Amino acid sequence: MDDFKPLDPLLHSQLRLAVMSLLLSVESAEFTFIKEKTRATAGNLSVQLDKLSSAGYIQVEKAFKGKKPVTTCQITKWGVEAFETYVNALKGYIE
Amino acid sequence: MSEQTLTNKESLALITEMIGQAKRNYQKGGSFHFLLWGWVVMLANLGHYYLEGFTDYAHPYLVWVITFPAGIISALYGARQSKRATVVSHLDRLYGQVWIAAGVGIVITLIFMRNLSFNHGAMILLFASMGTYLSGQMLRFKPLILGGLALAAAAVVCFNASVTDQYLVSAIGIFLGYIIPGYLLKTKENG
Repeated sequence: MDDFKPLDPLLHSQLRLAVMSLLLSVESAEFTFIKEKTRATAGNLSVQLDKLSSAGYIQVEKAFKGKKPVTTCQITKWGVEAFETYVNALKGYIE
Repeated sequence: MSEQTLTNKESLALITEMIGQAKRNYQKGGSFHFLLWGWVVMLANLGHYYLEGFTDYAHPYLVWVITFPAGIISALYGARQSKRATVVSHLDRLYGQVWIAAGVGIVITLIFMRNLSFNHGAMILLFASMGTYLSGQMLRFKPLILGGLALAAAAVVCFNASVTDQYLVSAIGIFLGYIIPGYLLKTKENG
């Protein structure tokens, strides 16, 4: 049963998958942009970003724009690979 | 959005939705640069053409000093725009790189304009044409694509014109390639 590969549990969750899909489509995005597009709460989003960052799927950078602290996220090469594997596994279930 | 697992179909729908969300975001403000450089370069070309062709003034090239403040304004505006943006799309990055490449080509041509016996107008127009045409393709905005073609046509005319007339041809090329599409892009951005 080559078609049924296990789905990455880190990606098979609503908010984390939304974040990864969003970051896959852009060069980089700030926390506020991700929060707006995913309609998540700041607390929940922070937790999920930490999980994705710990797995090496995304890179999180904290900096200052003037006096304002800004968190910028970017998908990593490893994250892109994980996402592709996830989508391919998903195809196996659906086809 | 809550922390919950998904069915496979929900996963695919979510991926599609988020990619669609990201696609709708590209930075605005491209028209500012086209209009700023369009007016500055067109006026400098016309000034140079007038001073060289119709007066005895010994240093007509001095009109080009107006490009220095334009460069500073352009850089400051660009920095402010990227500071404001909460997202950078792949296209935004590429768009910037295209103009850096065109800019490098223009600067190198200007450094060696003596080697070209000051027939550098056509080369500058060609670099501007490539930048404008590619910008038009990236934004899927036809007036810029046509503007790029107008600049290429102006370059062809320039290759066959005297050094003095090249300034007039460049001014017309910039009017057609930067200023008209620039105003149309501005209208689109505000619309």
